[in-house]
Parts: sequence; structure tokens; C-alpha cells
Amino acid sequence: MTTPAIELVDVGKRYGGLQAVESVTLAVAPGERRVLIGPNGAGKTTLFHCVTGTVRASSGRIRLFGTDVTRLDEASRTRLGMGRTFQISNVFMDLTVVENVLLALLGKDRRKWTTYRTLRTYAQMHEQALDRLAVVGLQARANETVRLLSYGERRQLELALALATAPRVLFLDEPCAGLSPSERQLLSQLIAGLPRDITLLMIEHDMDVALALADRVTVLHRGKVILEGSPDEVQADPEVREVYFGHV
Amino acid sequence: MERKHLIAWSVVAVAIAALLPLVAGPFWVALLTQMFIFGLLALSVDLLLGHAGLFSLCHAAFFSVAAYTTAILQVRYGVSTALAAPAGIVAGTLLGLVFGLSVRTRGVYFILITIALGYIVWGVAYRWSSFTGGDNGVTNVPRPTIAGFELESMTSYYYFMLAVIVLSLLAYRVLVASPFGLTLRGIKTSETRMTSVGFRPNRHLYAAFVLSAAIASFAGVLYVYYNRFVNPVSASFPISVEAVLMAIVGGSGTIVGPLLGSGIVLALRNWVSSFFELHAAVMGLVFIAVVLWAPNGLVGLLASLRANRRAAR
Amino acid sequence: MTTSAILQAINGTSFAALLFLLASGFTLSFGLMRVVNMAHGAYYLLGGYVGLAIVQVTGSFSAAILAGGAAIALLGFFVDRALIRRTGENHLAQVLLTVGIAFVIGDVALWIWGGDNLKVPVPMFLRGAVELPGGIVYPAFRLMLIGLGLVVALVLWLLYHKTQIGAVVRAGVDDREMVAANGIHVDRLFIVVSALASFLAGTAGVVGGAFLTLYPGAEWEILVFALVVVIVGGLGSLEGAMIGALIVGLLDAYGRWLLPEFSYFVLFGPMAILMLFRPTGLFGKAH
Repeated sequence: MTTPAIELVDVGKRYGGLQAVESVTLAVAPGERRVLIGPNGAGKTTLFHCVTGTVRASSGRIRLFGTDVTRLDEASRTRLGMGRTFQISNVFMDLTVVENVLLALLGKDRRKWTTYRTLRTYAQMHEQALDRLAVVGLQARANETVRLLSYGERRQLELALALATAPRVLFLDEPCAGLSPSERQLLSQLIAGLPRDITLLMIEHDMDVALALADRVTVLHRGKVILEGSPDEVQADPEVREVYFGHV
Repeated sequence: MERKHLIAWSVVAVAIAALLPLVAGPFWVALLTQMFIFGLLALSVDLLLGHAGLFSLCHAAFFSVAAYTTAILQVRYGVSTALAAPAGIVAGTLLGLVFGLSVRTRGVYFILITIALGYIVWGVAYRWSSFTGGDNGVTNVPRPTIAGFELESMTSYYYFMLAVIVLSLLAYRVLVASPFGLTLRGIKTSETRMTSVGFRPNRHLYAAFVLSAAIASFAGVLYVYYNRFVNPVSASFPISVEAVLMAIVGGSGTIVGPLLGSGIVLALRNWVSSFFELHAAVMGLVFIAVVLWAPNGLVGLLASLRANRRAAR
Repeated sequence: MTTSAILQAINGTSFAALLFLLASGFTLSFGLMRVVNMAHGAYYLLGGYVGLAIVQVTGSFSAAILAGGAAIALLGFFVDRALIRRTGENHLAQVLLTVGIAFVIGDVALWIWGGDNLKVPVPMFLRGAVELPGGIVYPAFRLMLIGLGLVVALVLWLLYHKTQIGAVVRAGVDDREMVAANGIHVDRLFIVVSALASFLAGTAGVVGGAFLTLYPGAEWEILVFALVVVIVGGLGSLEGAMIGALIVGLLDAYGRWLLPEFSYFVLFGPMAILMLFRPTGLFGKAH
């Protein structure tokens, strides 16, 4: 039994009187593509925040590749190989596209403390940044300010940032939200094309995208896991149909 | 602006500045010397404001602690410039190490805390009169002799300051274009994004704060040698506010903006006080005008003018 | 020794009462309207000067208090509408703008009333001292000030916690969008709270001018104390303003008595330490 890439044991999050997430236990194997689905308010994003460290879980344990990260801050988890995208596009709007990626590259790099050399002199880092942009198809826009990019292009950039941190585990929160059908197709192709040495945990609302990409699906409802299985199993399950499809 | 144009303009500017004492009277020499000194203070504030997004209103504290330290060492204990000047910078920077803990707060809390911290220093300068001389301050600070050059005259100190400011701007240019500088701008733009790619923003903000305190201290030492005198006014809240105003008027986030802003504010104050008694009120009106109509300062105005002209073509 | 200690306690409490008048308005303005008004000290000073002028003309201290408050309420209203409004929630812009306004008010006041320390004359029955249990003799005016502070605190507390308007304000401090979405005229609410804050600042000036005197620079000195009160007490909290004022008042009194040259340290030291552990103050909320 190999160590799971992501392991949640009895994770819960309480906001005052509201139990947003309750007793969630799941394990994602290395290289797996796991999709988290559930109706609005099911607690998917809250669970995500607990795992990424944006928010402190009220109870339970979270492990990345066997290391207990429950008490660690987000930066530490990133150093352990975590990368993420946000549900609402969160990129550096007033900086250029390439500066965005450079920052993602500098995040875990000692050189972020250098004050006596301009960034322009780091040719190798620039090349690396451009390579990362090429993966998502944005290298032509490298020197443009992000504010001038379309929403779809910003989502592509966001994926590039997450990948630039060389993650072992990638958390994607509704990566295709707010995109046009063609943009959606482009992005899901990019995600599908990611190498298997990156484990994927994704929240997705679009059923087609979710079921096409997933190896396994976990269904969340009112903060609890109600089912976990293959895409076919989940699609066929009557309780899921009622909870999820009934709301569509 | 293209690189070679920038270099050309800079050389022209330095040349004009170098020729100034030969064509203009002592008033202008004095004004420009002050512009350089306070430009450095404004620069220290803008490192935080324009790049890290921190609005600090306590920088007069570092400025004056450095000034007082150097002054007291030279005047009361006969310490040489070679030791007194660095000591002043160190003293101000040490204070920066302490006040820098305020970066754990954000937004309006940070602003209020820096205001209060700035007042501590002013209050101490004012009340601890047995040490600081209270209202009277410390007088008779001698002009330094640097590498054999006696800087007694206004003109000699002017050239000294010109050299200092040129070198400082060159160093500042590298600093803001460095990975450290980009990191600060990243924090200013989206702190959550920064944490999610592995940064710990508070550490960089602390470092930036201490660095800016060091620059402000440097300005303070240069000030006390120029002025030959320091009193609690140098630590006062209006000085901190004016430094911010200078940065904004000139153009926050740019390299020459704070320096230009310093010139504008000092020239304006000089000009107004020559015919109107209520010059503080005029400064107040300038604050209001800038906030409401020119938040991007002079550099921003020029940039948008150029952009409009280009668009019109 | 203990008599002095008790005297200092009363001194501190009377100063706390004054600070509360100023800080309560400042903190509620921020809590509800997210406005940082650095001209609050200037409002205090100008209110004091106006009160002084009224006393010189009418001889009535109570008229002076009301006039000082009303004048500043009016000024505050115009400043709010014409200027502060335009900055939205940009705190940087607000600070710069209101500092500019404070500079203008301060300089105009200097021009009209000059640079000497002016004292607002106090009515006959409040001059002199009162004998307290234990044989302590204390200035009547400062005791009145404590009384005034308590009354205002009580009235504000009742308004805030026991009335409909207060409930709306509390809801607004918590979640402004929600209140607006419920169809309540948020605008009118802002006007009322803002006017109240300015009024209190003006009356504080008259009262403060009677024992601290009025002089150029007083507007910044008092503002700093008020800022420490809201930092310690927490922005947006009325209880915070009360407790913060008490802490600051007492620390200032004891600090000046025991370590006059370092009284600022005694005051700001605890504030700084508190900031390290609880940046939002004792009762403040993280925004």
C-alpha cells in the first residue's frame, strides 16, 4: 500500500455555529486524478482551503505524502510540493505575464532575497519562465500587463503559476469557471495533458469536464462525503442523482 | 521610456545640476541641497509605499534618531565623523528593527500604529530634555571633512549631496528591479497569491521596512550635517506626512518621482511662505488637491499625457 | 503616597473621559463608514476655539459646549459630503485628505486666535475644589468631566445597544452591504453617525480647552492619544473606546507622575506589546 499523495482523516471545519465540513476522510493515490463534486454550499471550497492551508481545520489530520501538514502554514505546504489555483482568478494583475511566472519561480528560491542584481540579468530564470508560459500557450503575451488579458487567458496564466512551483500535488478550484466553451476545452485539454508525476485534486462544477478527467470522484453534500467511486459508479448512483442532478 | 533616452535625460539632468551653483544664487543651491536630502527621505518612504504597499507615517522617527545620534556624538562627545555618521545610521536602523514589528498588521491598523510609533520618538525628543536638549535641540554640529574635502561652504555640500543622490538613485534602481523588489510588488498586488507560491510576505515586508529605515536614517545624518542643528521638529508628524506627500506628488512607485516630489513640495512651500503667512494651510490644500485630482503624481501625469498624445496620433 | 496615587487615578479618569468623547466618534466612524478621519483632532481644537468665542460673547459655558459641538457637526457634514466621500474606502487617500484638512483648519485657527495658550473660562460653580471622602481635595471641573464622560458613555451605550437605530448601526458595523440590501437608508445613517462624531469632537474641545488649554499643536497631541485609545480598544468598538480610554488615561497619569521624561514609553510600550499579540486591539474585529 503506497503512501497516499493526499490524505484527509476526519477533517472538519467549524465557523461559529456552522459546521461547513464534517468528518471528511479520503485518500488520493500518487498520480491519481480525483475530482470533488457536490452542489453549491456543499463545502468543497472550504475543504480545499483546509487542505491548502488558507484556513486552519477545526479537527482532523491532513497529510501530504505521509507528512502531517495540519499545523503548517500555506508557504510550508507549498514547499512540500503543493500548488493551487483559486476559484476566482487570482493572478498579479498589475504586473506583466512573465513577472507573474517569475514570482512563482522565486517563491521557493533563495534568490528572492537578492537586492544587488536586477531581475533582467537572470537569463536562465527568464528562459524557464517563458517555457512555463509556452506550456499554457501564453509565451507571446509575456511582456503584457495581466490586466489586459482576457479572463480565459488569466485562467491559463493561473495554471502556469501553479505549475511553476513544480508541485507534486495540484489543487484546482473550478479551473474552468467563467470560461467560454472553447476556452473551457483548451483548459481541460491542458489539465488532461499534465504528466502523471503530478497528483491532481480538482473541484469541478461542470459534470462533463469532471467525469472526463477523473480517475475517481468524491461527492460532497452538506459538508460530508456521501459517495466515492469511479465516474461511472457515481453517475449511476441514485442518491447522487437526487442530490446533485436534482439541483442542476 | 527607452533605455538610451533615459540615460540621455539623466546625464543632461546631472550636468544641469552640476552647473547650477555657477549660474544661480545661494537660494537655489540651498533649495536643491534640501531637495536631495528630503528626496532621500521620500525615497525611503516610497520603497514601502510604492513597492510594498505599506503606508508608513513614522519615518521622521528614523530620520531624527539618526540626526540626533550623530549630532550628540559629535557635539557632546567629540566623536569624529567617521564614527558618528555610521553610528547615526545604525541607531536609526536599530529603531527600524523594533518598529518593523508593526508589519504584522495591515491596512488602517498599520497606518495608525506607525503614527503612534512616530509620536513616541517625537515625545521622547521633546521631553527627555536632559539628553536631547528638549525644545532647543542640539546645535553647532560641525560640517564633516570627507576624504580630505572640507564641506564648509554651501556649494561644497551641494556637490557632495549631488554625488550622494546620484549614487543613491543608481543603487535604488537596482534594488527595485531586483528579485527582492519584484517580491515586494507581488505582495502589494496579491498577498494570497504570494503565499500560495511559497512566500512568507511578513518576512519580506519586515526586511523592506528595516531597509527603508536605514535609508531614512542616512537622510537624517546628511540632514544634520547640512543644517548643523537638530530639534524635535525633525521627528514630528508633519515631516512624516510631507515625505509621503513628496513621494505621491512626484509619482509613487517610480525612481525619480520621490525626488521630483521633494523639489516641488519644498519649492512650493518656499514660494508660498514668502507672500502668505498660512503656508501650512496651503500645504494642506495641496494634499487635498493631489488626493482628489492627481493621485498618480507628476510622473503619472506626464505618463498619461504621453499616452494620450500617442493615442491621438 | 496613597493620596497621590488616588489623585493620579482621578486625573487619569478625567482625562479618559475627555479621550472617550473624542475616540468614540472616531471609532464608530470607522466601524460604520470605514472612514479614517485624521482631522478629528482639528475638530477638537476648532470646537474649543468656537466655544471660547461663545463664552466671551454670552458668558454661558453650556452654550459654548453646544455651540462648539454644533459648529463642528456642521463643518464635519460639509467635509464629509464634499471631500471624504470622494475617497471611497481608500484609507491612504482618506488619511492624506483629512491630514490636509487638519492642516488647513489648524493654520486658519492659528491666524484667527494666535499662538498663545488660551483657556476656556469655566463657570463659577465649577471653579475651585471639592472635598472627597478620605480628605482628598480635587478640582470640581475635572470631577464634572468624569461625570460628563459617564453620562455620554451611558447614553451612547443605550443608543447603541437598546434602540432600533443602534441595532441598525451595529448591524452596519458588522456587515454594511447586508444593511443596505435590506433597504435601510445607509446614507442617512452615515450622516447621523458622522454628525454625532463631529459633535462630540467639538464639545470635547470646549471641555478640554477648559483644563488642557487650546494652542497650535494641541490638535495633533490629542489625536495621538485618541488613536492609541482606538488601537488598544479596537476600531469599531464602543466598549473598546471606553476601556481603551480608561487604560490610556490612567497610564498617562501614572506615567507622568512616576517617569515624567519617559511618560510616552509608559503609554506606548503596552500598546506596542498589545499590537504584537492582538493587532486588532482588545475588542476589534479582523476585517
